[in-house]
Amino acid sequence: MGRLRRALTSDHFAGWAFVAPSVVLVLIFGLYPIVSGFLLSLQRASLLSPVREFVGAHNYTSILHDEKAKQAAVHALVYTMTFVPISVLGALLLAVALNQKIRLIRFYRLAVFVPVVTSTIATGIMFLWVFDKNFGLANYAFGKIGVGPFGFFESTGGAMPSLVAMTVWGWLGFDVIVYMAALQGIPAELLEAAAMDGASRWRTFRSVTWPLLGPATLLLVVWSSISALQLFDEVYFVTHGGPLGATNVPVFYVFKLAFQQGIGFPLAGYASAIAYVLFVAILMLTLVQFWMGKRVVHYSS
Amino acid sequence: MSYVPIDPGMLRGEIGMVTRPRRRWLPFSPWHLILMPIALIMLTPLWSMVATSLETLPQTRHFPPILWPGDFQWGNYPGTVRAADFGLWFWNTTVVTVSVVASNLLLCSLAGYAFARIRFLGRGVIYMVLLATLMVPLQVVLIPTFLVTKSLGLIDHLGALIVPNLANVFGIFMLTQFFRTLPLELEEAARMDGASRLGILFKIVLPLSMPALTTLAVVQFMWTWNDFLWPLVTLPFNEGAYTIQLGLMNFQGAHTVDWNYVMAGNVMSMMPMLLLFLAAQRWFIRGIATTGLKG
Amino acid sequence: MAGVTFEHVTKVYPGGTVAVEDLSLEVADGEFLILVGPSGCGKTTALRMVAGLEKISAGQVMVGDKVVNDVPPKDRDIAMVFQNYALYPHMSVERNLAFALRQRRMPRAEIDRRVGDVAEMLGMTELLKRRPGQLSGGQRQRVAMGRALVREPKAFLLDEPLSNLDAKLRVAMRAELGRLHNKLGITTVYVTHDQVEAMTLGDRIAVMSAGKLQQLGPPQEVYDHPANIFVAGFIGSPAMNLFKARASGGVVTAGELSLPASGVADGEVILGLRPEVLEPAGAGAQVALTMRVDVVEPLGDEVLVHGTVPGEAAESGAEEEDLGTLALVAEASRAPITVRLDPRTRPVPGDEIPLAVDALRVHLFDAISGAAMEIRAN
Repeated sequence: MGRLRRALTSDHFAGWAFVAPSVVLVLIFGLYPIVSGFLLSLQRASLLSPVREFVGAHNYTSILHDEKAKQAAVHALVYTMTFVPISVLGALLLAVALNQKIRLIRFYRLAVFVPVVTSTIATGIMFLWVFDKNFGLANYAFGKIGVGPFGFFESTGGAMPSLVAMTVWGWLGFDVIVYMAALQGIPAELLEAAAMDGASRWRTFRSVTWPLLGPATLLLVVWSSISALQLFDEVYFVTHGGPLGATNVPVFYVFKLAFQQGIGFPLAGYASAIAYVLFVAILMLTLVQFWMGKRVVHYSS
Repeated sequence: MSYVPIDPGMLRGEIGMVTRPRRRWLPFSPWHLILMPIALIMLTPLWSMVATSLETLPQTRHFPPILWPGDFQWGNYPGTVRAADFGLWFWNTTVVTVSVVASNLLLCSLAGYAFARIRFLGRGVIYMVLLATLMVPLQVVLIPTFLVTKSLGLIDHLGALIVPNLANVFGIFMLTQFFRTLPLELEEAARMDGASRLGILFKIVLPLSMPALTTLAVVQFMWTWNDFLWPLVTLPFNEGAYTIQLGLMNFQGAHTVDWNYVMAGNVMSMMPMLLLFLAAQRWFIRGIATTGLKG
Repeated sequence: MAGVTFEHVTKVYPGGTVAVEDLSLEVADGEFLILVGPSGCGKTTALRMVAGLEKISAGQVMVGDKVVNDVPPKDRDIAMVFQNYALYPHMSVERNLAFALRQRRMPRAEIDRRVGDVAEMLGMTELLKRRPGQLSGGQRQRVAMGRALVREPKAFLLDEPLSNLDAKLRVAMRAELGRLHNKLGITTVYVTHDQVEAMTLGDRIAVMSAGKLQQLGPPQEVYDHPANIFVAGFIGSPAMNLFKARASGGVVTAGELSLPASGVADGEVILGLRPEVLEPAGAGAQVALTMRVDVVEPLGDEVLVHGTVPGEAAESGAEEEDLGTLALVAEASRAPITVRLDPRTRPVPGDEIPLAVDALRVHLFDAISGAAMEIRAN
């Protein structure tokens, strides 16, 4: 009886009791899907029936012949390579600007932060309206400076840039907040020392501030890239992957195959394979970015 | 290197920049030239949404678009609520969000405290496993997670939105880090005073963790309220379980040209998040900033 | 009320570090025992093992006659005052004091009575409703003490409770602690690195270094008869002057100093002279050694004179790393020395002062083991 009591009050028991609910949930909904998803990618499977047929690497090799998949990959890359630089550099500029002590600064900050709390659907609706070909503000404004009218989401060439614009609008505030936190973490003495050394504002920024923002920049680049490669909501709701597949992206394609058009066909395994290829791409991109980042970024001690 | 004399009155605390005496060409700071246009661009879609929601249908079809309707059509709002199940959608979303936030606060605190302060067998391994799952985004394991949820019979029920999200690994991670920053002495004193592990957690640690808990609650609220992909996948047929995001999508699809109603619906769906943001700005910003700094 | 006993207690950390090695000592019921030593010597670890906050690797710890190795802290009937007080910041002083009693489901009336009594005893009654954040350092310290007292424990453990106070407050609180102990008579184990505190507060002091007990005894005895060179160098401020010396035929020689020391084997030894055993040689007295003055520190009632004498310095192992005087002595073949003089002698840097030694109060230590050596009186 004494031993049982000792065991029940021991740290080991307490520790496990505390983490058990969370661990069980994560194992069921986090770890297990990771493994079973991989197994699924090696099979022909349908979401509607439990029938499974093992096909090994066939799903993966099929991807190479799938025009739509390759198109999705290209679009993902194009989107990422536009979205990330624009939002990160834009955020840097805004963060510096929002750190100034000028009038109306609280208004400006609010204006930049509020879009972060809007949902992807709400943002999509707003932009469908603003970018409306016939009644939208955007074409009106462009008309005023003698350009357009543009098709935005309805034009094959304009859909992707419009997506970039919309998502940058929604996420800029997030990056700005991270940068502002990093800026405020720069010890004032460093800037004062630079000022006393006679450095101009630009010089100070280039030689002191920018290098110290290295870790934050690296983080934002990695984070934005990962988000960019996972783009789904906006594509599904606003452009439906179109027009004519112009905004087909990997997650959207996977969704279509498994849950929409492909639901009658045993494509769940194939879709899973595409998803895993995407995962590997994300992983590799992240590793490359970190590796390159480490060579360029100094972490201040 | 010339020495530039700095008048302390000149250093206005601008981070990254130090003011210098110079001629003023404009009656205001040049930063306004950058910030004002950007602020306007950020606010325009929101303004347009609110304005359109208060217009009549013919007004919405007017080009150039009307940004100040003059005669506010407040009736659009009740009209929108009558036109679709907004009340039901709000209710569903509230139930899901409150459950998920409450559950996370409890489970992440328990787990976070154990990882931070209790030495137990396998602690390191389990922590690593949890962190590893953070690396794999939902979008990659969408299909297998759906299948697991289906096998638990949760599909087409609110349970599908609640159960898988009861414990967010990110929250566990955040609280573990935070708990580690609390002075260990306090917990040792409580141990000597006879408090049990659970007692220490609830009477000492959590009361001192309000900032972290509030941040977690606010951030989790936003994620859950705005979630779209998972509800879309797990509620294929049962529109009675739709959350506000799904409902809004449906509504817009059914009323593609009734922009005034669609915008009214949009404003209503955004209201809770906007109000929460205005009330708890500090916590949102903290949440995002700590995400960034912990990386 | 009970005593605390360490029986061959050892603590080894998972990495292999030995924090406490074979510590055996008995704190009598009602005794005020001080564990003193430089940081890292294991005194805090030893205290925490009594508290139950550290697991014991070997040996036993007893409170009263009960072995408490596996007994959880709350059941050991001891109370601890932490170095940083560990007051619950979100609770009022009253709730801080009552916390432990509430954990035990004590009846409300009893809790209120005890809290009231302790608050009165420590002069804190007006502070009961305040929070720790609103209190001064000294007040917080008293609350920490009160929290321990309110439990009416068998033994009291204090971990450097005065180290966070400023100098004047420290002196005042030291006196309070002494008064409290006289009044309540609870067995107390007190940890400090400040040897002045150790000397003034303890019934007995236990000097520790590198995990081992160096000497145990009443303060004056440890001061007058240090068991080894570490204790000699650690206890006493300013520190004992130590010189390398040679014993030959019953005479010990260090530099120009020669002393009779019968019963000492020939060979290398270390000679220790406390500053107060050196006096300026009066007329007709035998000059033992001559000191050249470098620095003079007037303290008001006396003057500390630092200088050099011919000879070679020895180390006790108790030196602090930033001891600057040794580094300042640039000259070879001279050793630093510190003496206490009457301010009226008005010493000045550069002076050569002839000094006489009280031969009955010199210390000799084995050059290799550092152990004190007996000198038989002639």
